[in-house]
Amino acid sequence: MKGNIAVQVDDLTVAYNYKPVLWDIDLEIPEGVLMAIVGPNGAGKSTLIKSILGILNPIAGSVSIYGKPYEKQRELVAYVPQKGSVDWDFPTTALDVVMMGTYGSLGWIKRPGQKEKKLALEALEKVGMLPFKNRQISQLSGGQQQRIFLARALVQDASIYFMDEPFQGVDATTEIAIINILKELRKANKTVIVVHHDLQTVPEYFDWVTFLNVKKIATGPVKDIFNDDNLTKTYGINYKVSIQE
Amino acid sequence: MSNAQIEIQLIASLVAVACAIPGTFLVLRKMAMISDAISHSILPGIVIGFFMTQDLNSPLLILLAAVTGIVTVVLVEYIQKTGLVKEDTAIGLVFPALFSIGVILIAKNANDIHLDVDAVLLGELAFAPFDRLLIAGADVGPKSLWIIGCILLITIGLLLAFFKEVKISTFDTGLAASLGFSPAIIHYGLMTVSSVTTVGAFDAVGAILVVALMIAPAATAYLLTNNLKRMLIYAICFGVFCAISGYWFAHWLDASIAGSITTMLGFIFLLVYLFAPNKGVIAVLYREKQQRTEVSLLTFLLHLRNHNEEEERHVNHLNEHINWQKVRSKTVLELALKNNMILIDNNIVSLTKKGKDFTSQAIDYIITNEDSKIEHMKDDFFLFRG
Repeated sequence: MKGNIAVQVDDLTVAYNYKPVLWDIDLEIPEGVLMAIVGPNGAGKSTLIKSILGILNPIAGSVSIYGKPYEKQRELVAYVPQKGSVDWDFPTTALDVVMMGTYGSLGWIKRPGQKEKKLALEALEKVGMLPFKNRQISQLSGGQQQRIFLARALVQDASIYFMDEPFQGVDATTEIAIINILKELRKANKTVIVVHHDLQTVPEYFDWVTFLNVKKIATGPVKDIFNDDNLTKTYGINYKVSIQE
Repeated sequence: MSNAQIEIQLIASLVAVACAIPGTFLVLRKMAMISDAISHSILPGIVIGFFMTQDLNSPLLILLAAVTGIVTVVLVEYIQKTGLVKEDTAIGLVFPALFSIGVILIAKNANDIHLDVDAVLLGELAFAPFDRLLIAGADVGPKSLWIIGCILLITIGLLLAFFKEVKISTFDTGLAASLGFSPAIIHYGLMTVSSVTTVGAFDAVGAILVVALMIAPAATAYLLTNNLKRMLIYAICFGVFCAISGYWFAHWLDASIAGSITTMLGFIFLLVYLFAPNKGVIAVLYREKQQRTEVSLLTFLLHLRNHNEEEERHVNHLNEHINWQKVRSKTVLELALKNNMILIDNNIVSLTKKGKDFTSQAIDYIITNEDSKIEHMKDDFFLFRG
């Protein structure tokens, strides 16, 4: 176990129309891990992230970020929503979307200026999207759109990053580019939490994993708990993955 | 132009600007129908306010009507949240109910006073200059000019202050919420502005035509730009242009001003819908045709590259072989010639050096699954596009 606890979730229960989608979740995420949240469709993976970030209201339980409620720690947290959650026909450019990452530290009313623009350009450079800064966002490929979202999170210079399926609909090159950036974040002792679908790549990409299916099945280091037993408990069928050493 | 004419055009223009601003965001939030619902369901608010104040221009009346507007939105969302009906159905259930309450209230109580459904729904801009605002006995202009002017000033103030917040919550609700910009506050703020604007505009253009001023300029501007600020500016310009040209159209026809303004809005939208440079119907059709021809050209050049036998490269044979009709073969052949991709010698077609370079790069990209790069390559190789 590493030192600090970055995210602590206690007894979290979330329901849509009285049907629990997350049931009594207790979760401790140590600082500096690159963690995958895995589980079948409808397991509540996105719901867990959204509840931690205060986007959804849980009916019970509490969340703390470095020991304090999320509302007090917003500046420490960056969020990458699912790519499909926004309208990519929105009249705006890649640079402008990345600038949105700076809005949180600006607060209400204050407008972004040269400093924010410089930060956004740097973030675009990091994800290799600088040449596309003035491109309208609907004219970007799926992989490029995902990089823009990643850049928007990077611009926040947070301590904890939550990402909802960042590899969805991206090509192999982009996937590698994204995972390299995530690994760099971990090196800088940032905590990265990723909703992930591709079980094959879990051991290669991540060092920490949480199995979720309405209830928390298991959480811990990939090398200790990423095994057929937990996969079967989570996915309900006899699940075999060959973990390549 | 008489004073009254100038005043009418001024009022219509201010209404257009005041509508275009919230309208732009309604269109982007795919909530155009909500403005329709609000425009109908403010009727009971207007009627109750009128009973209380006996004055169609009282601030209390505007306030009450705005509250009914918000009630509409809340009811629609509540019904939708139960999951029993979809959003459009919920809208269709709520606003006729509220509207009919207004109709009954007018029929039961307002028979002998100056308030009828027509006046609220259709408005009459031509009468606006008759209702003057007197301050200490001095005439300072038509009342509705002052009302819509105040609403517009507030709207512009809010837009300048909260542009960033409205933009982020419109584009990405989840991110807005996680950064602490409550999407609910922004949503109801926008709904309040839309309601207040609708009320302020009803006696100029009527509660129904206000929908046209909110949605049409924004929808038109959306087809012309990829920049939100420009979309707002274009929407405002279209609104004002249609307000003024609509007034003169009505003057010429001797018809309803509000009706003429709305006709102009529809006409301008149609023009832009057809002729917009990138998103317009004609531009899209033209681009599709160009792409079809260019794909044919590529197929044709690759075919030439694959076949050294003379019979495969004979001009007449190509028609039958690639299975194209004469016209298409001719277009493609001419395009290839114009771009110096091929030589025709004795009716036998062969690739030039440029044609060979082009095809070998194209094959590279096709094999490595990077077809999208072919688009950029065309800029380097083509003197003439399809």
